[in-house]
Amino acid sequence: MRKILVCLKQVPHKDARLDVRSDGSWIQDENIKFEINDYDSYALEEALRLKDKGEAEVVVATVGPERASQALRTALGMGADRAIHIWDDAFANTDSLGIAKGLASVAKDENFDLIFTGLMSDDANYGLTGPMLAELLGIPHATAVVKTEFKNGEVEVERELEGGALEVASLPQPCLLAVQTGINEVRYASLKGIMQAKKKPLDKKGLGDLGLDASAIAPKAKVEKLYTPPKGEGAEMLTGSADEVADQVVTKIKELGLL
Amino acid sequence: MPKTLIVGEIQQGMLRESTLELVAAARGLGGDIVSLLIGNGIQELGEELSKKGGGKVLVADNPEFENYTVDAYAQAIRRAAELESPELILISATPNGWDVAPKVAAALDAGIVTDVIKIEEDGGDLIFIRRLFNGKFNGNFRISGSPRIASVQPGAVAAYEGSDSGSVEALEVKVESRTKFLGLRTAEAGGHDLTKADIIVSGGRGLAKPENFQEVLQPLVEALGAQMGASRPVVDAGWLPHNYQVGSSGQVVQPKLYIAVGISGAIQHLVGMKNSNFIIAINKDADAPIFEVADVGIAADLFELVPALAKAVAKAKGN
Repeated sequence: MRKILVCLKQVPHKDARLDVRSDGSWIQDENIKFEINDYDSYALEEALRLKDKGEAEVVVATVGPERASQALRTALGMGADRAIHIWDDAFANTDSLGIAKGLASVAKDENFDLIFTGLMSDDANYGLTGPMLAELLGIPHATAVVKTEFKNGEVEVERELEGGALEVASLPQPCLLAVQTGINEVRYASLKGIMQAKKKPLDKKGLGDLGLDASAIAPKAKVEKLYTPPKGEGAEMLTGSADEVADQVVTKIKELGLL
Repeated sequence: MPKTLIVGEIQQGMLRESTLELVAAARGLGGDIVSLLIGNGIQELGEELSKKGGGKVLVADNPEFENYTVDAYAQAIRRAAELESPELILISATPNGWDVAPKVAAALDAGIVTDVIKIEEDGGDLIFIRRLFNGKFNGNFRISGSPRIASVQPGAVAAYEGSDSGSVEALEVKVESRTKFLGLRTAEAGGHDLTKADIIVSGGRGLAKPENFQEVLQPLVEALGAQMGASRPVVDAGWLPHNYQVGSSGQVVQPKLYIAVGISGAIQHLVGMKNSNFIIAINKDADAPIFEVADVGIAADLFELVPALAKAVAKAKGN
């Protein structure tokens, strides 16, 4: 039976209102809605499609505070078999390498055939954790994967390059694939799935369980402050009623000689 | 003044512009510059880079490097870093840069910041600036330890255009690649060429439902005699086909007029349309990054404004 790991991150909901904390250390995330990172939901869907096709165990793992359990429950509701929730306060200020070390500690004893991650997170947009995890586990990886095909124990992928170009490559398993959005169409958790999810295993792991200590995940890359980008010249902003603005825009378009 | 290793990139037999952008970034910091070029039959390109500010150019020239594979390129970068002990390694945040930089960072246990738009000096330290939350915020980062690794957003720094004298040296690399390159292909384009359109009206997630592209956006498209485009999330959701996508992984367009409706302006989209002659953006969030590139912006409800605009355009044409 194939064993697949999907690493996911819980991120602010795409419609959540985001404000920077007064100390600039991050965004205020105390009272906002969260969801599974979009890229990771595509990764999870890719794994679940393999499970639909044949025997496979899909394990989901996340490094995140208490609230991240909800993301794992959602993944279990979509069809994952079990979940691993990694957390310790020391992870609150770590960097992507620290996160990858946490995930690697869990993965290394489980001998996964395949690991799926998202290409990057919708909040930080670092794009680091997946490939770092692959390196720590000593397995090959591919990023920006838009297509997968399993042939003869290898996986053939298409990687998205620029301007519509695609690279076709083949990787042996085990390997890690960091997928791009749009690789598939993500399923919704069924009501039955959500009910079943409550009974599926969700294990919590702290630093001690992982054989790590705080110094092992001390960050080298640190965010000093977040802020709204200084407004450049930006746009000439029009105001008024819809009809007033529409007339102003029409005038602009006429000036361009396009009407 | 860090000693900087620049990882150059070759595309279609030429030095990428982004490599000269890394040269400019490194020169801005002072310090010695070493460059790495990886490929097959690239001696001349090595010499070219050495004359364009690349400093001491290490050329990893080997048939194994004919096509990019992450293992081989990571091995070349690690070998260069081992020999040169740079304090800073700069890689372009191109698709392959995004692919290889994290691997090298993990292998070297080095701190890394990706997609940097600016590097500033602060006392003896460096601040790495990048965007987060899909362009909504900037973040200042510091990296401890050595080497520090940064991938630099293509186009963020002006390319170095001077000439200098440098040197070229062969770099021997032991290559063992687990991945096999099989070829390149282009995604199905065809049927909806936006690169020839004079006017493009693009819709994003702000339109909320696929039906709204027909019901709300199409009347404006028709009134203007325009073509319809889309942002990535709309295409990912399956609301419109891929050949409607404007952006770094879709079509890059430069129409006379680009109207962005309900599009926040993530960098991947901006790359696809920021060179349009005139840009009008409509988004209910006044802080949306799209307003940074727009000429005219309206922070308003598109469901009120777009129908009003379609009506006003139709009326103007009727006159």
